[in-house]
Amino acid sequence: MSTIISLSVLGVLILAEGLLGKKAWHLPTILIGLLVSLALTLSGWNLNLHYYNEMMIVDNSSVAFSSILIFTTFLIFMFAGHYYRGVQRPLDDIYAILIFALVGSVMMTSFGNLIMLFLGIETLSIALYVLAGSHKEAITSNEATLKYFLMGSFLSGFLLFGIALLYGASGSLNMDEISAYTVREAAHLSPMFKAGLFLLIIGLAFKIAIVPFHFWAPDVYEGTPTLLTAFMATVVKVASIVALFRLFSHCFPAIRETWETTLWILAVLTILVGNLTGLYQPNLKRMLAYSSISHSGYMMLAVLAFSARSADALLLYAAAYSVATVTAFGILILVRGAKGNDLFTSFEGLGRKNPVEAVCLTIALLSLTGIPPLAGFMAKYYLFATALEKGYLWLVILAVLGSAISVGYYFKPIISMYLKEGEGIKLEAGFAYKTHIVFLTVLTILLGLLPAFLINLL
Amino acid sequence: MKDLIVTLIPVFPLLGFLILGLGFNRIPKKLASLIGPGTVLISFILSFIIFVIIAAGSRRGVQTWPVTEVFNWMTFGGLSLSFSFYIDPLSALMLLVVTGVGFLIHVYSIGYMEHDQGYNRFFAYMNLFVFFMLILVMGANYLIMFIGWEGVGLCSYLLIGFWFRNQEFNNAAKKAFIMNRIGDLGFLLGMFLLFTTFGSLNYIDVFHNAKGFLPGTGVVTAITLLLFAGAVGKSAQIPLYTWLPDAMAGPTPVSALIHAATMVTAGVYMVARSNILYALAPATMTVVAVTGLVTALFAAAIAIYQNDIKKILAYSTISQLGYMFLGLGLGAFTGAMFHLITHAFFKALLFLAAGSVIHAMDGEQDIRKMGGLGSALPKTRWTFLIGTITIAGMPPFAGFFSKDEILSSVFTHSMILWVVAVTGALMTAFYMFRLYFLTFSGNFRGNIKQLQHLRDAEPVMMIPLILLAFLSVTGGIINLPALAGGSAWLHSFLGPVFADATPLLKGPVYFLDAQTDYLLVGVTIVYVAVMIVVAWSRFVKKSLIPDEATILRSPVARILTNKFYIDELYDLLFVRPSLWLSKVCHDVMEIRIIDRTVNGAGTLVVKAGNTIRYLQTGHVGFYVFMMVVGIIAILLFNLVI
Repeated sequence: MSTIISLSVLGVLILAEGLLGKKAWHLPTILIGLLVSLALTLSGWNLNLHYYNEMMIVDNSSVAFSSILIFTTFLIFMFAGHYYRGVQRPLDDIYAILIFALVGSVMMTSFGNLIMLFLGIETLSIALYVLAGSHKEAITSNEATLKYFLMGSFLSGFLLFGIALLYGASGSLNMDEISAYTVREAAHLSPMFKAGLFLLIIGLAFKIAIVPFHFWAPDVYEGTPTLLTAFMATVVKVASIVALFRLFSHCFPAIRETWETTLWILAVLTILVGNLTGLYQPNLKRMLAYSSISHSGYMMLAVLAFSARSADALLLYAAAYSVATVTAFGILILVRGAKGNDLFTSFEGLGRKNPVEAVCLTIALLSLTGIPPLAGFMAKYYLFATALEKGYLWLVILAVLGSAISVGYYFKPIISMYLKEGEGIKLEAGFAYKTHIVFLTVLTILLGLLPAFLINLL
Repeated sequence: MKDLIVTLIPVFPLLGFLILGLGFNRIPKKLASLIGPGTVLISFILSFIIFVIIAAGSRRGVQTWPVTEVFNWMTFGGLSLSFSFYIDPLSALMLLVVTGVGFLIHVYSIGYMEHDQGYNRFFAYMNLFVFFMLILVMGANYLIMFIGWEGVGLCSYLLIGFWFRNQEFNNAAKKAFIMNRIGDLGFLLGMFLLFTTFGSLNYIDVFHNAKGFLPGTGVVTAITLLLFAGAVGKSAQIPLYTWLPDAMAGPTPVSALIHAATMVTAGVYMVARSNILYALAPATMTVVAVTGLVTALFAAAIAIYQNDIKKILAYSTISQLGYMFLGLGLGAFTGAMFHLITHAFFKALLFLAAGSVIHAMDGEQDIRKMGGLGSALPKTRWTFLIGTITIAGMPPFAGFFSKDEILSSVFTHSMILWVVAVTGALMTAFYMFRLYFLTFSGNFRGNIKQLQHLRDAEPVMMIPLILLAFLSVTGGIINLPALAGGSAWLHSFLGPVFADATPLLKGPVYFLDAQTDYLLVGVTIVYVAVMIVVAWSRFVKKSLIPDEATILRSPVARILTNKFYIDELYDLLFVRPSLWLSKVCHDVMEIRIIDRTVNGAGTLVVKAGNTIRYLQTGHVGFYVFMMVVGIIAILLFNLVI
């Protein structure tokens, strides 16, 4: 709760600074504010607090996942100064809305009631519709926001309808009571409840960008300003997956047979379609969009193989995925800044001209591929192992196959950087920016070498 | 506090490696000369503190030692791996040897490598080696040991091929690496078997659980044999020894540190560490002892006919390692460790002195082209002589006591074995003095250019030599037997480590009383003296210089000069068939089968991707249509059917 309050105050503070015209204060305030809020979040460890008639439940899993979300936002904001340098317009609105989106995502990790889930998703989504269009002058940005909004509001209807049907069947929105209902009625579940359940899945699947509800993602990611795409691909993605995980692990374990097959098929579709389509993308940004789609497929394994350990695995996976993706976006911002586009050809010759950035991007992509000893490998290992324990042999085989396919596109930029000759414009990364990228890379390596720090938490 | 010190011991060499490795040539030489040896010195000081603590504890009768957990590495299912260190008397002693001798050799390298272009790279690798060696010694479970085990192998490879512009040196490096890998496979399999048998890789758990097994249990025999295969590779025993003579391609300090004093003794350390397992497997013990004895003799015989100063020392290393394994195989764990320590001193000394000779001779390593260096290099000569006497086993130098300890335990088991082992020792005395006389006595046989700057090396190289010579003379003190008026300190110090294994070992067949012992020692000394005289009369009095023509006339000499044709045999038996096989694999398997399958799969994937991507049209209407199709499919599938 203190997390949500502190973050909301932070957002308002930024707006106030904007009114006062103190543009230079924004970033320091945000960075300090995020750290304070991170500290407040972590102070809730092991307290297991319940708020407002079980509306919000801050247990250890929500503390851990909220912390990852806040930390990732912090990492992204470290790039903001460079990204928005030279921009004349006031930035308080963009920053504040980003923070409010974070509030929504935190709610999605700690809801105890379906209404809170819906509120969290809407807080996040509406903020995102605005952010996607925040580059008003660019036609692509306008296109992104319109597409996202149209489809998003369409699918929000399904989500809300699903929640309503669940309420109609079980008579409650409280997760514990719904769970009790499913235990009671497991043998003869009413069609209304089932319809609600699947409409809920559909609504969430859209937010996560699960195939076949993923069509918006590549177009929106591409049109959205890159810094905000990084936020979408990491914080939003992780928050939505965690919401799905939280919902299913709390409410529906008793009726596993009902939803198992559907989620299984969706996961396989997501992994295969995400990876196969990723092969054909001409630029890094779109490629990362498909990469994020296929990674949501992998993370669905944690939902399917729900057990005490799969929460740990999901935590490690979310951390590994977020750090590596943020790194890749950090370098993407640099290349776009220098070249004006992010076609793979723009990366040619980077290996020699900018060895540090090239190595960092390489490590991030290798981690996303799942090459040992990096974080991505360890995360995939734990995730697949938990799935195997639950007997999802074929799912794991298909997931590994998907990973193998993903090598085909993750290596494209690496090949461009090292094996192709190119003029390779010097990137204008300041010292702080470079240090931050190196720091992220070190994180990726450390998480791979020492996964035990995250893996035994939950 | 103690845990902190233990944790810090390997950190400094690692830091040194990172600084020198990442900074590469930007770091000035002066600074590199400070960082390289400095980090090892700090480790040595820390190791010494730890050693004092352990020694004080052992005086108070401490029997168990705590494990220092650095961090919990990973936990999954039943497997929990922690990165932790275990410091007991055995590892405390090894720490001193590794960091102490390592430091002296680092200092020596400042002079030896002075004009080398890869100066910083050299120290970076050397620091990395020390780091991995410390990990190997300090690890609290077999996995950590294995990390160090592989790490030192890697450093050995990098340093043998240090002068990588020479293709022969690269081949030697590859040979060392591959030979070691064969052994490592055994080690790895042994580890798997350990884990399935004992459910853990931690020393404490394994050794504790092992007590429940009966001696001669099949699985323990299998484990120990597999682990011993690793030791055979790393410690260059028959049949995996051929890499070590070739490893002399590396710079001489590398030969001294890695291929004589420390890394090659890792196998001995591993067996000593696993003493309880070996004690439970009498069959393995026999294998270890026989391998050791045969290697000791075999390598000594080859050494007699070699003419490369470093190769002779390499074969003598193999031979001495054989004695250590002989001791281990007979259950004389302390004796083997004692010999390991003294050997580290005198072999490092011999190599460094040889390096000083090679340095003075402009890189010449053939002793037939040396001669008469004694007057030009007095300090080198005297230190080399001390090393030679020590390895020959003359009292009261260190090598005498340690070798005698192994020999007398051989005697208690079998008189025949003792005779064989002593024969090896006599050969050692002969070839070492042959080396010494050919190098330092007689007339100079080199060229004028070498003669002009023939002088002792600078102090930075000589001081480590003198210190090592001092240690070689006095090192025996640590385990002076009661016969010589000592108290066998090493026995009481290491006793608790081997306490569980000792009752399981076969008792002596012959009883060794003081009189017999004196007699055996006397006989050995007299024969060694005779061998020295024989060498002297051949190479000084008659000044015989070995030459190809005379050697070729005698079949025995021919076989020995050609090292029993083992390299040729391996080439015929293994290298060529595997090259042929890999060619077949490449031509048939790779190109015809695998390439086609892989390319076919790739094409298929690419085509599938190409088809799917057309769904991404960019039209919102189409997207919504597809989503509705998905929604209807899901609802139909779940609610209707």
